[in-house]
Amino acid sequence: MNSFLLAGSLPPDFFGRILFILKNYGVSMAKGAGTTLLIAIVGTLIGCVIGFIVGLIQTIPINPNDSVAKKILLKIVNIILKIYVEVFRGTPMMVQAMFLHYGAMLLLNLHMDMWTSAFVIVSINTGAYMAETVRGGIFSVPLSQTEGAKAIGMTHVQTMLNVILPQALRNIMPQIGNNLIINIKDTCVLSCIGVVELFFTSKSVAGTYYTYFETFTITMVMYLIMTLFFSWLLRFFEKRMDGPAEYDLATTDTLAYTSGTLSDPRKDFVDDRHLSDAPHAGEDNMNNTRR
Amino acid sequence: MSDKKEIIEIKHLGKTFGKNEVLKDINFSINEGDVTCIIGASGSGKSTMLRCINLLETPTSGEILFKGNDITKEKNVAAYRAKVGMCFQSFNLFSNMTALKNCMVGPMKVLKKSKQEAEQDALFFLTKVGMAPFIKAKPKQLSGGQQQRVAIARALAMHPDVLLFDEPTSALDPQMVGEVLEVMKTLAKEGLTMIIVTHEMAFARDVSNHVVYMQDGVIWEEGTPQEIFGNPQKQETKDFLSRFINM
Ligand SMILES: Nc1ncnc2c1ncn2[C@@H]1O[C@H](COP(=O)(O)OP(=O)(O)OP(=O)(O)O)[C@@H](O)[C@H]1O
Ligand SMILES: [Mg+2]
Repeated sequence: MNSFLLAGSLPPDFFGRILFILKNYGVSMAKGAGTTLLIAIVGTLIGCVIGFIVGLIQTIPINPNDSVAKKILLKIVNIILKIYVEVFRGTPMMVQAMFLHYGAMLLLNLHMDMWTSAFVIVSINTGAYMAETVRGGIFSVPLSQTEGAKAIGMTHVQTMLNVILPQALRNIMPQIGNNLIINIKDTCVLSCIGVVELFFTSKSVAGTYYTYFETFTITMVMYLIMTLFFSWLLRFFEKRMDGPAEYDLATTDTLAYTSGTLSDPRKDFVDDRHLSDAPHAGEDNMNNTRR
Repeated sequence: MSDKKEIIEIKHLGKTFGKNEVLKDINFSINEGDVTCIIGASGSGKSTMLRCINLLETPTSGEILFKGNDITKEKNVAAYRAKVGMCFQSFNLFSNMTALKNCMVGPMKVLKKSKQEAEQDALFFLTKVGMAPFIKAKPKQLSGGQQQRVAIARALAMHPDVLLFDEPTSALDPQMVGEVLEVMKTLAKEGLTMIIVTHEMAFARDVSNHVVYMQDGVIWEEGTPQEIFGNPQKQETKDFLSRFINM
């Protein structure tokens, strides 16, 4: 484990030792933190994609008019997905890591390098959690939204893409943030398959001089900085998604343009009196017909 | 009325939820340009019937002919719905979009119009319902009456052959009811075919040319507004109407 060489003698006081560790091993620890972030971010992103795909398939409605083949296929796919979700939510990621990294080698004769294993494990683990989150997110969008979309002739896919998923995504943003933060912390279990992330590095550094307390103080702070930064960043994204809290009234200029250049797209439908009422468009032009 | 073209014909329509028979043998037809008001007590099946017409509910029996084709056997339900607009009691605007986008998304995604064309069209109809100043607002930022007018513009932007309304003013304060009914009156004058479930009896009397009184899942009585409001034939219709003294 101790891959680090001794770098001189250790200062006697706590802060001196912290500085000493930072000076000599700071770069290694920062690299470890970089690995942690890389795996956490990529794993969360791919996990989200998996989660969205699984969640979407699980919410495909079955209509009475659908063919038998479609019904059976959906049923089988749904059972497989359910097993995936339950297995990966119901077992520890550390065990999954050992199982997949060494199991894949033995069973499938597939040699995954450490990095591939790391990304695969975090992604499918996150995917299992996200699948449930996405499913919940989709159900959290009121039925009235689906009906509004159906009523203007949208297909299931169009409804999902344009109406439901954007709202579901907004609703589950806090959960995505949560997953990212959990992943930043939980990638430390990947040290068991030899991934040199922050925890692995810290252990090696601590072991070199037997400075567990000092080293892990630094490690704690580093994890905390990462998680705090990403909590803040995700909050910022959420605010951006919400858009402005207030809206501007469209100006009379825009409206003059609107009513001035517009010809009715459906001639048999037009009521010219209303177009000529346009100067009042800045007001409620329907009021003009009110007695 | 009889020389006009028939657009919807409902034959022996039935709908049961579990063991609850909500619609029993509904028969009536609608001509192009008709403004039909459906009235009746709560629970009589008005919403269910309206929702069957655009297949938000699947009828259990009977036929719904749209321009001669039975749409209960239709495979491409979405394409049919694109021709039949619907306005809901609770507006059902897309909360993730501005008023303008609400009116553009259908024409762009369903009718495959260009963004520019969809925007022009949307602006036209939003202007028509008096909502042009509010194009940048999200539904949550609008009053009920304003939301319902955007919802009407959204439906109109699809250029529907028929527009269905399910109690469009029931969730509104009295002063907002007026602004929405005014829009609907204009549409009626312009000859849009509309089927309106409403408790606004004065509106039904003044604007429609066809009134349907429903009770217990059947059409109890139908006719012109003069017939239904002026001289109802059945005792139940009289009893129902007598509750609306403020006409
Ligand atoms: N999805 C459903 N499942 C079971 N029963 C339903 C469902 N929708 C409606 N019903 C029942 O159908 C009957 C008619 O309901 P419907 O909503 O059509 O009445 P309505 O005439 O529109 O009443 P209101 O004026 O209150 O809107 C009611 O008894 C209702 O409980
Ligand atoms: Mg109803």
